[in-house]
Amino acid sequence: MSMFSMIKTGLARCGADEWRIRRVREESAELFFVGRDLDTRRAKSVLRYEVSVFVRVMEGEDVKKGMTEVTVLPSMSQAEIDRLLADARFAAGFVLNPDYAPADPVQHEPRRSGSRLAAMTPAEAAGEIAAALFAADVHPHAFLNSAEIFAVSTHTHILSSEGTDVRWDSHTVRGEFVVQCKEPEDVEIYRSFSYDEPETEALQQLAAEALDFVYDRARARKILKSGEYDLILSGNEVGELLGFYAMRSNAGMIYAGMSRWQPGETVQSEGSGERLDLTLCAQEPYSEEGIPMEDRPLLRGGVLCGIHGGNRFCRYLGAQPTGDYRRIRCTDPGTASFEELKQGPCLWAVTFSDFQMNPMSGHFGGEIRLAYLIENGRAVPVTGGSVNGSLLAVQGDLAFSRERFRSSRYEGPYAVRMKGIPVAGTEGEET
Amino acid sequence: MFEFMDTKKPLYRRLTDALSARFAYASVLAEAHADRSWSISRSGASISTRGMTGGTGCVARVFDDLGCLEYSFNELEEESVPVIVLKMEEMSRRERGLLPAGTRPLPTPLPEETPACFRRETAWKTDPWELGDEAILEKLRSVRETGLAVEGILDVNVRVNCKRYRQIFLSAARDLDQTVLQMSGSVTALAVRGQEIKYYSRPYSILGGAEMLETLGSDVEDVCRAALELLDSEPMVPGEYECVCDPAVTGMIVHEAFGHGVEMDMFVKDRAQARQFVGRRVASDLVTMHDGSAVGEVATRFFDEEGSLTTDTVIIDHGILKQGISDALSAARLGTAPTGNGRRESYERKAYTRMTNTYFEAGTSTPEEMIASVKYGFLLQNPASGMEDPKNWGIQLMVNVAREIRDGKLTGRIFSPIVLTGYVPDLLKSVSMMGRDVELSGSGHCGKGYKEWVKVSDGGPYMKARIRLG
Repeated sequence: MSMFSMIKTGLARCGADEWRIRRVREESAELFFVGRDLDTRRAKSVLRYEVSVFVRVMEGEDVKKGMTEVTVLPSMSQAEIDRLLADARFAAGFVLNPDYAPADPVQHEPRRSGSRLAAMTPAEAAGEIAAALFAADVHPHAFLNSAEIFAVSTHTHILSSEGTDVRWDSHTVRGEFVVQCKEPEDVEIYRSFSYDEPETEALQQLAAEALDFVYDRARARKILKSGEYDLILSGNEVGELLGFYAMRSNAGMIYAGMSRWQPGETVQSEGSGERLDLTLCAQEPYSEEGIPMEDRPLLRGGVLCGIHGGNRFCRYLGAQPTGDYRRIRCTDPGTASFEELKQGPCLWAVTFSDFQMNPMSGHFGGEIRLAYLIENGRAVPVTGGSVNGSLLAVQGDLAFSRERFRSSRYEGPYAVRMKGIPVAGTEGEET
Repeated sequence: MFEFMDTKKPLYRRLTDALSARFAYASVLAEAHADRSWSISRSGASISTRGMTGGTGCVARVFDDLGCLEYSFNELEEESVPVIVLKMEEMSRRERGLLPAGTRPLPTPLPEETPACFRRETAWKTDPWELGDEAILEKLRSVRETGLAVEGILDVNVRVNCKRYRQIFLSAARDLDQTVLQMSGSVTALAVRGQEIKYYSRPYSILGGAEMLETLGSDVEDVCRAALELLDSEPMVPGEYECVCDPAVTGMIVHEAFGHGVEMDMFVKDRAQARQFVGRRVASDLVTMHDGSAVGEVATRFFDEEGSLTTDTVIIDHGILKQGISDALSAARLGTAPTGNGRRESYERKAYTRMTNTYFEAGTSTPEEMIASVKYGFLLQNPASGMEDPKNWGIQLMVNVAREIRDGKLTGRIFSPIVLTGYVPDLLKSVSMMGRDVELSGSGHCGKGYKEWVKVSDGGPYMKARIRLG
């Protein structure tokens, strides 16, 4: 008997008439390097069945619904599965929330990934990515310190009591690397990457840029004065910043009262800057709940097009469930080239130790690892100090570059300039 | 719970022996995790059995002429033993041809393991599974309702997680078996004004079981009032100030600012400045720092995920950096002894050097004495997040609350959010007072960079130091 059949048997035996089973098979090859020396090789092959069990009961005049999730392992016997699912159904009765409709059923033929990674084994993909990274390690003064590479193939199959039956495969190569420059200061810069194709050129470009930046960081000085600056963010930090709008428009956040945004509302305050056009980007054909995912408009001209999220909270809010998105695209074309954006006194913060965007307070910031203080046409590398800004205060005056950037979390203008951002400097730290 | 591992243990041993016959070293770590979390908030009630870390499966480790090689799997039956051995032989022989040309091994002596054999279990008073979902959720509801009665509060989110896990580690020299139960949680109050939401969180944690619920939410009204106070907080004027850190902020400084910097896999990569400072002064005489399982908190265990026995490591002794903490491979590469800090997010992940329970020792001062000694400065409370910088010992910590102190008294003004920056040894050398009572807390998880989450605790006493705030 197949695991699916055993789980369905267990569900029937415990009286669960609403359920969802998500079967995930994951295989990976992983390489860990110190410099170019091999630290560790790893591989994995794991299989699990994640089962969601729902119960609906009358509580007074109201219908309530509860849900719990359990993981069934391939080694479990029918008796073990029966006990696990009966416990799950019993527990679901203690977490009763307002009733909501199940995710709409979807049936589709298996979707095969068209990625070139699908034709490679994880070990082949990991080796190709490692070779590409090493090929970029040619800077005269900076070098690759260490790297981790993960090539992962995932095969997912979702069944539900409502009749959903979808399956698909996805393939990624992701990882991180650190580049180092030892003179005049011994410093490093961290970069991560994630691709759904073997994008060796993009990786080499990322590595080459990181090597240039770390060379500048080694020469950067702690001369930043405290005050307000026109701040430029670039690359992934722009995506983190704009991710605020995706988080604030998530149904879970709205239902919890942590956001009051409504479709049709102008959520970007007025100002002289560009009006935001943002799109939510689907990276998988279905969500974890089996909801079909597609690219969706999020903001047009600073106006919220719709809310998004998982089944339960979207149902509560009367919205169509969309699944949870992890990637956004900004289609604002930008009004200036990056060089033009850097005109006039400003601070271009290139890397932070950890840039954070707080979806609740609207504050963003972090400690600066490398920035360029731009004055009178000169760009002086500086390090140290911290940014502590409020997007809510400056969102009306955003200016974007025409150059584009693309990563696994964000696609859009490479850079954004914001006015009057508080920066804590480093006066007195340099000796 | 986990009795199936007794049935499987002969298979784990058979696999270990089969791999040992083909490779210079072989070990198998088998683990099973049972997670359960309960939460109550405006979003509703929930129970989840998905843990953030762990899982049920095995990882086999061997050494060949290219070094360390691992395979993670969660299907192990009688017939799969030769299949796994074959897979690891393929990885060792055929897949090496896929590596970049000229790939060399990082020189790594084979692990030296002294023989050890034991089965141990941590203690608890109340088993959360026996107490049951209904009783636990009732407690959470009661805490939330008490908090919601405070006027002006948007929501109170009460969350509790428990984890019980069993791990068996087998190698030629070792046969180790441990079971651990830990529980943690938080009470978070939210207050809103306009588009801005402020929150204040109180963590709870215990090496043990549902007895933690006895203290959960005892101060929920204070937590709510703190969230409301934040609505009137002001932006910080950047500068260096005299600061009194509460034990939670001290803990974040211990963990993020210094602890990550003494993880010795970073020594191997030349990514930690601390390596050059062993034997030298890095902090004031008042600072003595520990990591390990000498205290009972959420990261206490008997052996790590590489089969190294845990201990109590004195990292800083009265201001002098004595040693770092290490996993087994880093220790072998550096010629030191492993300290029991080789930890994995789960059997599916690599082992790295990771902290466990990390803290500063107590001193002799009281918080009142510290505040009274400040001419102008801040009482820092409620840490939010932090990021390590072992290479340059830069500090980046986010704190939710800075209470103004003027002429030795709290003025009632609050500043938020706050970014702490600066150079770690400067901060630690400026420590001028250390409190009498050590408090540890482990409600969250620690990442290495941006991934590899493991449960840790950190803490210390109240501490006075000069800190750059922004």
